[in-house]
Amino acid sequence: MPHRREGIEIFARKPTAVVAGAVFAAFGLSACEGPQSAFGATGADAIQLETLFIVMLVGAAILWVAVNGLFFYVTRVHTTSISRRLANGVIIGGGIGLPLVVVTALLVYGLSIMPDQRAEGDGLVVKVTGEKWWWRTEYQPLAGAPVVSANEIRLPTGSRTTFELTSERVIHSFWIPKLGGKMDMFPGRTTVLTLEPVTPGIYRGQCAEFCGESHALMAFKAVVMEPDAFDAWLEAEAAPIQADPQAPGAEIFFGEGCGACHALRGTQANGAVGPDLTHLATRESLAAAALPMNREALAKWVRNPETYKPGVKMPAYDHLSDEELDTLAGWLMELK
Amino acid sequence: MTRRENVERQEFAEERASLWKLTLGPVTWAVHFAASYSLTAVWCAKLAAPQDDITLLRLIIGAGTIVALVVILLFGLSAWRQWNYTQTGRATHAFGDAENRHEFLGHAATLLCGVSFIGTLYTAIPVLVIGSCT
Ligand code: HEC
Ligand SMILES: [Cu+2]
Repeated sequence: MPHRREGIEIFARKPTAVVAGAVFAAFGLSACEGPQSAFGATGADAIQLETLFIVMLVGAAILWVAVNGLFFYVTRVHTTSISRRLANGVIIGGGIGLPLVVVTALLVYGLSIMPDQRAEGDGLVVKVTGEKWWWRTEYQPLAGAPVVSANEIRLPTGSRTTFELTSERVIHSFWIPKLGGKMDMFPGRTTVLTLEPVTPGIYRGQCAEFCGESHALMAFKAVVMEPDAFDAWLEAEAAPIQADPQAPGAEIFFGEGCGACHALRGTQANGAVGPDLTHLATRESLAAAALPMNREALAKWVRNPETYKPGVKMPAYDHLSDEELDTLAGWLMELK
Repeated sequence: MTRRENVERQEFAEERASLWKLTLGPVTWAVHFAASYSLTAVWCAKLAAPQDDITLLRLIIGAGTIVALVVILLFGLSAWRQWNYTQTGRATHAFGDAENRHEFLGHAATLLCGVSFIGTLYTAIPVLVIGSCT
């Protein structure tokens, strides 16, 4: 009878194991795609980290299989008593020798790539300040004046960009998994990260240090461009606003006092509490990737930002009529 | 107290010295570890700029490592002799008499020296591959 019970137990366990395995596999696979996955890396640093991960995984797998294999061998396959020499061989070879060789190899390899991860930048410098809950950016090209922007990171391929990171009030962390590792941002301190993107594309970055209610909504698009396209973008970004500052939408903007918090270069709006909006509509997303960049989203955002970002430091404008909000949003979409 | 107990007591007291010996390997490892890390910390904070070449620091730690390894090796050898495995072939010390205790402490110290040797080597591997403070 005990045999039968065992059989039933094993049978009963199997489906759970299968389900668990399937769920695990599904999670694993779903994490392999998408603009924010560290797999399918598109930056030199992330590619190196991905290789490191695979190498470590293989090393761990070899150790696991070998150590447990030997254990299996002496407990299941060769269950009769074994000679002292064999026992010593199994324990010393499998328990000490093998881990020593594998771990040493992994350690040397891991340490050897560490300096690469901290290589010095050789091109553009981007200052990024973590705010609640958005990103203040300032591009300092090798030649020319700095360009202030926000909530998006644009990078050229073919050079190593330096990020000088800091924070306004609390600790944030700057992370574009497709391009490289993460770096914390501290109030009153500057930390430095360098990244060398390889493949143009639109990726996603995320604040990786809990920073308050809207931490999860503090993200951004990282746009990697060919150097020429990047230079053209930066030149456009440096220009004052291109939209008509006399348009009805502009009147609402200035009339409502948005300029006390937001800057529009070339107008009297020079607030620095919130993101610079001079070229808002060129960004791939709105409000640090909390919303898509389009007219409807803009109107909804201005009516009540709190709905989309709890704790946001921007007041609601729900006293504006739907038409006014639409006119304002339409004008904001012209801030190219 | 019986005479036998008295003798045991005395023998146990003699063993105190090798109880200390037990710690020598790990202590050497710990000293090497603390010295390497604090020297590097001070060097990188006070002497070298982030991208400076730090060959001298690497050489100093390398030399310190060789010294530490030799010291651990010597402690290990002395412990190995105390274990006396080549003579007795004993890997277990089941009786708990004075001789057993003596050998057991040697055995344990030998193994600890082995671990300390590997630990010291691992502590030093970074100086082989890292060329600057960053
Ligand atoms: C009290 C300061 C303040 C005022 C006044 C204010 N905002 Fe904001 N605004 C902010 C802050 C702070 C953010 C960043 C919110 C976040 O993402 O966490 C923001 C974000 C935005 C964004 C998103 C920017 C981006 O990069 O995606 C838009 C658009 C915007 N505000 C428009 C307006 C308009 C239009 C008005 C006036 C009707 C206005 N704001 C008034 C503080 C303000
Ligand atoms: Cu944050």
